Amino acid sequence: MDKKNRKSRRVLGILIMALPVALFVLSLNVGSYSIPAGDMGKTLLSLVVPSLRQDVPQVHRDIVLHIRLPRLLLALAAGASLAVSGAALQALFRNPLVNEYILGLSSGSAFGAALSLVFLGRSFPPQPAAFVFAMVAVMAVLLIAGRPESGLVSLLLTGVIVSAFFSALLMLVEFFASPYALQSLFYWLMGNLALAGWRDLALALPLMAAGLTLLILLRWRMNVLSMSDEEARAAGADVRREKWLVILAATLVTAAATSVAGIIGWLGLIVPHLVRMAVGADNRIVIPLSAALGASFLLAADTVTRSLTSIEIPVGIFTSLIGIPIFLALLKKSKKVWL
Amino acid sequence: MIAALCLCLQLLALPYAPKEGATTIRDSLGRTVAVPERVRRVLSLQPEVTRIIVALGAGPSLVGRDDFLARFDHLFPLIHPAQAGLPVVSAADGFPKLEVVLRLDPDLIIASPSEAGLPDLLQKKTGKPVLAFSSMGRFEDLLREILWVGAALGRAERAGTLARFLREKLEAVRRRTEDIPAERRPAVYVSFWGSFTRSPVGYEPVAAAAGRNLADGLLPSRLGSVAVEVSLERILAWDPEILLLHGNYLPGERTVNVAGVLSDPRLRSVRAVKDCRVYYTFGFWHWWDPALALVETIMLAKLFHPERFQDVDVVREGNEVFRVFYGMEGGFDALRRKLEIPDGPWR
Amino acid sequence: MSLQVRSLAYSNKNFTLRLDALEFAAGRLTGIVGPNGAGKTTLLKCLGVLLPLERKSVFLDGRDLAAMPAAHRARRLSYVPQEHVPTFSYTVRDFVLTGRAAHLGLFALPAARDAAAVEEALEFVGLRPFAGRPYVQLSSGERRLVLIARALAQDADVLLLDEPTTFLDPRHEVEVLGFIKRLTRERRITVLVTLHNLDMAVKYSDALVFLKEGRVHAAGPPEEVLSESLLEDVYDIPMRIVHCDGHKLIVR
Repeated sequence: MDKKNRKSRRVLGILIMALPVALFVLSLNVGSYSIPAGDMGKTLLSLVVPSLRQDVPQVHRDIVLHIRLPRLLLALAAGASLAVSGAALQALFRNPLVNEYILGLSSGSAFGAALSLVFLGRSFPPQPAAFVFAMVAVMAVLLIAGRPESGLVSLLLTGVIVSAFFSALLMLVEFFASPYALQSLFYWLMGNLALAGWRDLALALPLMAAGLTLLILLRWRMNVLSMSDEEARAAGADVRREKWLVILAATLVTAAATSVAGIIGWLGLIVPHLVRMAVGADNRIVIPLSAALGASFLLAADTVTRSLTSIEIPVGIFTSLIGIPIFLALLKKSKKVWL
Repeated sequence: MIAALCLCLQLLALPYAPKEGATTIRDSLGRTVAVPERVRRVLSLQPEVTRIIVALGAGPSLVGRDDFLARFDHLFPLIHPAQAGLPVVSAADGFPKLEVVLRLDPDLIIASPSEAGLPDLLQKKTGKPVLAFSSMGRFEDLLREILWVGAALGRAERAGTLARFLREKLEAVRRRTEDIPAERRPAVYVSFWGSFTRSPVGYEPVAAAAGRNLADGLLPSRLGSVAVEVSLERILAWDPEILLLHGNYLPGERTVNVAGVLSDPRLRSVRAVKDCRVYYTFGFWHWWDPALALVETIMLAKLFHPERFQDVDVVREGNEVFRVFYGMEGGFDALRRKLEIPDGPWR
Repeated sequence: MSLQVRSLAYSNKNFTLRLDALEFAAGRLTGIVGPNGAGKTTLLKCLGVLLPLERKSVFLDGRDLAAMPAAHRARRLSYVPQEHVPTFSYTVRDFVLTGRAAHLGLFALPAARDAAAVEEALEFVGLRPFAGRPYVQLSSGERRLVLIARALAQDADVLLLDEPTTFLDPRHEVEVLGFIKRLTRERRITVLVTLHNLDMAVKYSDALVFLKEGRVHAAGPPEEVLSESLLEDVYDIPMRIVHCDGHKLIVR
């Protein structure tokens, strides 16, 4: 039983790792402007080999290089970031109901974006301010609650309070905002990969890559930290320092992803669950697979919305619509011991 | 469609004759409200109607202005300089401050029909007659609105003059373009409201100027609005001949501008970009300016079909429209300089 | 590896613990006993530096315990809690593996020698066949053994166990204590155990420490310190020591 289990787990693991690649290739061919699959190969080649440029229509190259590629990369990076962040925080707080936004991050981010759109003008992108205030919100929660070793309940409560505070500030800003700025804000809040261009990704992608790398390096350590603080300390871990590091990294990637893609819910909660159900709780495997599955999930959701209609539907709606039923099913299934 | 418009215009008759005592007016929401015969003090919370009131010559009877007009409208200070002294009566969400309203003691209040239940609520709370008007971007409704507001303020004759003027000018444009077949009407993509991918699902000035709005007929992204978010690829697939950008912002406020569009690497292959046919047009938020809408139509007509409007000097026409509506000289020119709309084939 | 208390003081708002000069001999099993609230668990946690410990109060083989960096200390001293509340369904092997944290850098992944240490620890407690099973599927007795295995994998010379036999049935109680005793005999590990069960403490310990209200009432080998008057002093009820089949039994 043990052997067969392990074999099926390995197969599942490999499948999940391969999924983003497969979806990437598929998604590259999806879009309102139909580029035949045969031409796609030529177009991709022409991006790398300059001499082939004459053979390929300009519009195909522009679409692939400037519209689809950045969008797909953003979906992969953001999906991975949110899922890994959720998995890491779940391990840290010893609670599988934790998601990447519990420390007040989403409210801080929304407030930052609104502030930027209203006061810095509409030509200034809202990403930097969204990022900064996301970090501010989390830092506020950690400083107020005391230490990362504080009990989960006190951190959650502080998170709720800080969230409420930033939400109130957000409403204040909205009150004084022009209808023009509000429209942009509304779409940003819903989670939107539509206008992602290389310029938007210039800062966000490296941040996500750095944070993800850090979290992946710390993945075995998360096993240790997911024991009680006492046990972790007895085993020789510098609990305080290590928890700060994980939280910082998780906040970094989530803030970076949210600043560009808006608020996309449920990934950090559901994806790690699914992964643990498939391959067990060892974070050495859960973290990389969460990254792969999270990336796939968001990419798939975005591709589906793109292929359904030429009207832009915010992807955050989809992840919620699909995520919530899955979450409820999970909740029903695992009543006693968490995964 | 223009033919249908004109047919409706002919069928429009002033349905209400002012009687002694109160007049009964039916507003855009179908509410019937009794309006006093003489309206000396009027409060309009609907910017479009406020402009019409000024055009009707009843500007001095305005006792307050709404938040939108006070903060975001670039035309209104030009057509009614006295507006600076008017108290701001509503908050950003459009809801009026009731105590201020009562203090100002208007004889008539005009509200926007887009807030559910607001007109009735306002009427109940203030005890004043409240009318709700909006044209939502339709010429037909705009004309009707002018007539109704004129009736409510006892300026029916002036309203009739304006409506006739508007009708005739539109008719003049229509006559020059009615025989243009569909394929010769340029494919136009219109970008409004601060984002390149946001487009109105119908924009009458474009249609009236014998152009084809590419986003026509799409479902709006949000119920009750007229905006749709289109994907960039869709725009590339459409390959518009002309791009129109929202010009009713001050240059410093524009997120989408001509320079940006022309230099965007994603739009390189679009016909309009290759031919440099990217222009500003005025556009609207929820509310139109009737004079501006008319001038815009003439401007677009010349832009789309220059050969048929060679003898038309748009700036001169625009100034004349503004003179007829608002009694000011050089008004259109002043506005376009304020908004820094550059010269182009539309002149 | 001897553990030497020079002067230990700990207090919170409910309770004060004070010890002067106590030695836990190397390679011996010391049982810490006393009534509820005497401070047994507190003492153990102080010794494991899980509660704040002042400098120069406890020495491990001559080195100041409180001054050691955490990883350094964990390689010499390990602590086994009374129980573990599982959140995630780790396998027994992965669970025990977390005990190797002190031997691995922050970003390091467990290597062959860590896996070997785990296998050896599981072998010692007889749970090798269970290695691939989820921890949560084990009985409470087996879980205790896993906790011990984890501490073993840590490769420390001193083992602190908090109430390892509470809630275990007699057979498992004997099993666990048997393993612990073997540790002192076969590997010369210094073991401190807090125990509720006086009979077991007397039977297995090489030395006993009696705690009451935060103070040490007596410390030393059972033959020397155990007396009925001491028991009555510590537990506040009359007790009798009965000899039966070569065993000492405590009768209330």
